[in-house]
Amino acid sequence: MTESATTNFWERMQQIPRYWIYLLLAGVVTWQILRPLPLPVAPSLETQGVYDAIRAVPDDKLIIISTDWDASTEAETAPQTAAVVHACFQLKKKFAIMNLQPPMGVKLANDIAKQAAKEYDAEYGVDWCNWGYKFGFDNVLLSMAKNIPKTMGEDFYGTPVSDLPMMKGVEDINSIGLVIEITGLSGVTEMWIGLIQGPYQVPFASGYTAVMAPGYYPFLDSKQMAGMLVGAKGAAEMEALVNRPDKATKIMNVQSWAHMLIIALIILGNAGYLLARRQAARRGGQAR
Amino acid sequence: MSGFFQPASSGLSLALHLAASVLASILLLIGMHLLLGPRGKRWLVAAVTFLGGLYLGLEYFLPVRKETLWPTHLPNPNPNAAANLLTPGIQSVTNMLTVIGAFTVGLGIYSLCQVHGRNVARSRPGWHNSFAFFLAMIAMLVFGLWEHYLPPSGSDAAGLPWPRAVYTVLFNGMFVPLQAATFSLLAFYIASAAYRAFRVQTLEAGLMMAAAFIVMLGQVPLGAWLTSALPTTGVGGFFRLEALGEWVMRWLNTPAQRGITFGIAVGGLAMSLRIWLSLERGTFFSE
Repeated sequence: MTESATTNFWERMQQIPRYWIYLLLAGVVTWQILRPLPLPVAPSLETQGVYDAIRAVPDDKLIIISTDWDASTEAETAPQTAAVVHACFQLKKKFAIMNLQPPMGVKLANDIAKQAAKEYDAEYGVDWCNWGYKFGFDNVLLSMAKNIPKTMGEDFYGTPVSDLPMMKGVEDINSIGLVIEITGLSGVTEMWIGLIQGPYQVPFASGYTAVMAPGYYPFLDSKQMAGMLVGAKGAAEMEALVNRPDKATKIMNVQSWAHMLIIALIILGNAGYLLARRQAARRGGQAR
Repeated sequence: MSGFFQPASSGLSLALHLAASVLASILLLIGMHLLLGPRGKRWLVAAVTFLGGLYLGLEYFLPVRKETLWPTHLPNPNPNAAANLLTPGIQSVTNMLTVIGAFTVGLGIYSLCQVHGRNVARSRPGWHNSFAFFLAMIAMLVFGLWEHYLPPSGSDAAGLPWPRAVYTVLFNGMFVPLQAATFSLLAFYIASAAYRAFRVQTLEAGLMMAAAFIVMLGQVPLGAWLTSALPTTGVGGFFRLEALGEWVMRWLNTPAQRGITFGIAVGGLAMSLRIWLSLERGTFFSE
């Protein structure tokens, strides 16, 4: 092989047409969906924190699961919600789903909880409920801190929340033992922490898409957040904690190999770049 | 004032309340439009903004009664006493804010209809996309409301009333997968962009790539498996990819994020003050 041919080869390695990259990625994803190679999932400290926070909720207090996500982030947030709901049912903790934005999340989360409730013979209104979508962001939080039944009004099905058996004795934020915020939106956590966790010292945990999570580590470090589910990884770890490997565990297999492919492509592109540059420099030296 | 915002006791009462509210709102708007010039309107909006912000700020920051300062590990004799002078009105004020905020939804729909309606009426290029918008909006609106007011039905698909079946197809069968598919395309763009743009041209770029590889592998079970031969504790344990990834996130990412958050918070505070005091340019009918 001549030197120019070698140079062309390394230059070509930097310019693989994008459709080949798309095809490679699609191939890896399809391969792992159809023939997954099982990989062990070990819970991280962040995920363990969420599970422990759920376990620590006193029996006379409610857990709020604020499901502020929609279908665009469903691959990560839906398994997180499902795993948290299963943990609540398994640990016999009562919970209420609510939603600040986007409104789609409340229905998707309701479907998840309804499905999970069947497995544990849990009853709506007794073991869990859905307060529905409430418009107003921080106004809702400010108001619910003082009076939950009045702020929530009617539940997802149009029943006054004060009529639900599990809402007996639930008055204000003092009746809440934990808030779990699962979201693909930035900014909502800051409201929960600023208006609820800080002033009322209500324990707070969260679940984020992997791309958002790095921004919230300071809250974990300051102990304002008891735990955090990081993307599908957090969901898979929570599934391991509730002994119920499901969608997120499968996603992690796919994601593992997709990450490997991206790393391999970056290395290939850089190898091409460095070798082509070295050969160009050598040619320049010879010309001089 | 809170009594005024109580739910209506009957259907007739609700209808009367709604009619009276709409009439009063229209009269108020007409009155303000006739009586206040642009300057007057600006002052009115600024005054309402200032008073609203002042109330919410004071309610949040004014101390509550002493009992609520009890330490959390001791039983509180009066847990419902977390109130100050302004707290009784918070429900009504937040209700008002919610109602005002809900108007923006109507405004958004009106604006969309105006833009797309013009496209369809004048057969502009891409008018069929605008037509699809109307079709989708009307279908979701009609079947969403219809489904909402149907009595609850069992999970048996065969027994579903047809409007609920149509809504399920529209929501679960079309809207959800379309939204998820749009977002999932990001994976392909990221793979392609990372391959094309991520070049180690400087030391900083090299450091960034090293951190990226550690975090990418530390975040997936495959990374943990690659270094599973290393011990779980001690110095060797630190070099397991999941531990290294955790270290990068907690010890390098956290301080950087904290700095960014602090900067954003200070900027947000300044911006909030400007909005509260109506100093922000381009707001409230200004030229």
